[in-house]
Amino acid sequence: MATIKIERDGAAGAVPHHNSSTVVAGRDILFGLYDDEVKLLDAVKAANADHLDIDDVYTPFPVHGLDPLLGLEESRLHIAGFIFGTIGCLFGFGFMTWVFTRDWPIIFGGKPYWSVPAFIPITFELTVLFASVGMVTVFYIINGLGPGAAPRRLHDRITDDKFCIAFDVTDMSGEGVDQLRDYFDRTGVETVHRKMVPA
Amino acid sequence: MENFVFSSRAKTTNLVLMGVGLVCLVISYFADGGEGHHMRFWTNFLHNSVFFLGIAALAGFALAAFTTAYAGWFVQFKRVWESFASFLLPGLFLMGVIIVGVWTHSHHLYHWNDEAAVLEDAILTHKSSFLNKWWFTFGTIGFVGLWYFLLGKMRNISIAEDDDTTDREFTYYRRYKKYAAIFLPIFGFTSAALIWQWIMSIDSHWYSTMFAWYATASLFVAMTALTIMLLIYLKSRGYYLGVNEEHFHDLGKYLFAISIFWTYLWFSQFMLIWYANVGEETIYFRERFDNYPVLFWLNLGINFVLPFFILMRNDTKRKMGTLFFASAFVFFGHWLDYFNMIKPGARLTLVEMAAHEGGHGTEEEHATMDHGGAATDHAGEAAATHEEAAPEEKYADATDLEQGTNLEPADATTGSAIESPGRRITAAEPEAGVPATTDFRGGPPTGDGTEGPREFEAIMDRNEVDVFEPNHFIQEEYIEDQEMLGHLDAAGGHDEGEAHTLGFKSGYTLPGLLEIGTFLGFLGGFLFFVMSGLSKARLEPKHDPYLEESIHHHT
Repeated sequence: MATIKIERDGAAGAVPHHNSSTVVAGRDILFGLYDDEVKLLDAVKAANADHLDIDDVYTPFPVHGLDPLLGLEESRLHIAGFIFGTIGCLFGFGFMTWVFTRDWPIIFGGKPYWSVPAFIPITFELTVLFASVGMVTVFYIINGLGPGAAPRRLHDRITDDKFCIAFDVTDMSGEGVDQLRDYFDRTGVETVHRKMVPA
Repeated sequence: MENFVFSSRAKTTNLVLMGVGLVCLVISYFADGGEGHHMRFWTNFLHNSVFFLGIAALAGFALAAFTTAYAGWFVQFKRVWESFASFLLPGLFLMGVIIVGVWTHSHHLYHWNDEAAVLEDAILTHKSSFLNKWWFTFGTIGFVGLWYFLLGKMRNISIAEDDDTTDREFTYYRRYKKYAAIFLPIFGFTSAALIWQWIMSIDSHWYSTMFAWYATASLFVAMTALTIMLLIYLKSRGYYLGVNEEHFHDLGKYLFAISIFWTYLWFSQFMLIWYANVGEETIYFRERFDNYPVLFWLNLGINFVLPFFILMRNDTKRKMGTLFFASAFVFFGHWLDYFNMIKPGARLTLVEMAAHEGGHGTEEEHATMDHGGAATDHAGEAAATHEEAAPEEKYADATDLEQGTNLEPADATTGSAIESPGRRITAAEPEAGVPATTDFRGGPPTGDGTEGPREFEAIMDRNEVDVFEPNHFIQEEYIEDQEMLGHLDAAGGHDEGEAHTLGFKSGYTLPGLLEIGTFLGFLGGFLFFVMSGLSKARLEPKHDPYLEESIHHHT
């Protein structure tokens, strides 16, 4: 049993009802909230079967098996991680080599200046540091996140305990929207909402 | 297919492998004859026995650890590990041969088993409360027997569970878990004690607190690699259809992670010894650096660089081809790792014994040579290659030679004094109860055999002079040769140092055909046992409470 609610996006200011004739730059999103990831997965499968064009799916935690259903490509973030890690590795080792052989050579415990075994732990640490910090930075930049970024959420409980399937209905006819509502009803949705978001 | 059928073709293959192994063992027994104390045969036998016995034990460990942690993903193929673990019994028989050898003195794997050597050697005397044949015998039989008892219980419970359809309370599973929890701490302590006795005591003066971890991690990787290869084989024969890329992905992660863990331990052991630079510890790496560089670096390449770069990516762990390739290499690599742990030490024992038997000098000279192990090496090598040289010459030669390259506390030559004046002076102090003259296998002679306080003072004097040598000498020399171990070739020079190097010897420097054959033979025997174990019970434990989770496992 679906309850249809029409909401206003507080953060974006007054957002007109979709039936109103006012033209606003933005996207009109119809989304349903599910209370269980199993229902969500079944609903995504049903949408694929009906050839419905899902805009996006939002979940509070990673759901196994969702990516292949949505046809998402494998993330390329780890390539960034590898590159940053390599840079950190070379930087750490090169820096210590420069310091201990050129800039400020000191003998420690009778060891050679260029003491490779002593460099390895620090090289390792810098590899990890560069890889992790680099990956986080890249991730933030790509996703528009990070300190100061305004969070764009369709619904607060998506970050808590609800699983959301969203459709873009900006250019959709009334029948199309009704068809989507039918679909939500069929797949055991808890609530359906409609919301204007900035493009 | 519910049960594994041990096909006659697989049987034949394994039996042929075992035949090859047996032939290689027999040949290696006669290859180096009585003069070499059949060392090649005995080291090969010990090497492979410990390696496959260890794989069996580590399969039991994985089973017990995962069960105790409420893991479910591996349950589909847990019969494979149960079959691995039942190789403990034949493994115990193989170690029994070594035990008989210890009592009858048929082999000279362990220097601590030579009563005469122990008596005149302070370190071995000190260690003799642990390194003795009683401990070796009852430790091996008792501990491996205990493992076999606990893991055998687990296997029996697991098989009995299959036939009981009325068990609603998972009583079998609970009992299984109880034995797993009992096994874990017992295995943790006893496996360390056994690996010290079986492997580490081959270098009987040497010790490392990282060794048990290091050797066990090596076995864990080998066990995971063998499991992956066997599962891929079983899948190709139409078994284990439910074991899919998700399970292989997890096994691949273990292969990757434990390979890194092994490297971490390898490096920790190396770096601590390198940093402290104490002669009795560095001897282990010095020996391998000087005489086994290919083996030493190949070990690190196969077991770290290769799996690290192959298995780093997600998809290589999910494709059978790359996973099998990496597993095969790493499996052989860790066999090579054990080769590297065993052979150089055993060869050193041989060299030492040859010196014992070959040296006909006066008693005083003889004693000095025993005490300064490195000097003995050299003399031993001379004896082994049938070079007739007067004992005095050998001794003098060796002394000059070793002064530059050794890290012995009492070694107070120019180069070594620079290395760490503070440590050297304290280390040169005679320990209470231990004669200052004696002891370390790696050490050069500390004097002319009349050492005592007088000798110690002399060392102190020399140290004081050397400590204040101008620094430019060190800098130039060190920038030039930048040797990894920070070693002190300064005084001796390189040419003489190389003269000390032990030559290439197949079966010691690198595995020869006989070693590979023996390895294949033991592998055949292991697989024969595992496959007959697999054919005796259902492949999948159908009433295990975690079977469903395992079937629907998602990485």
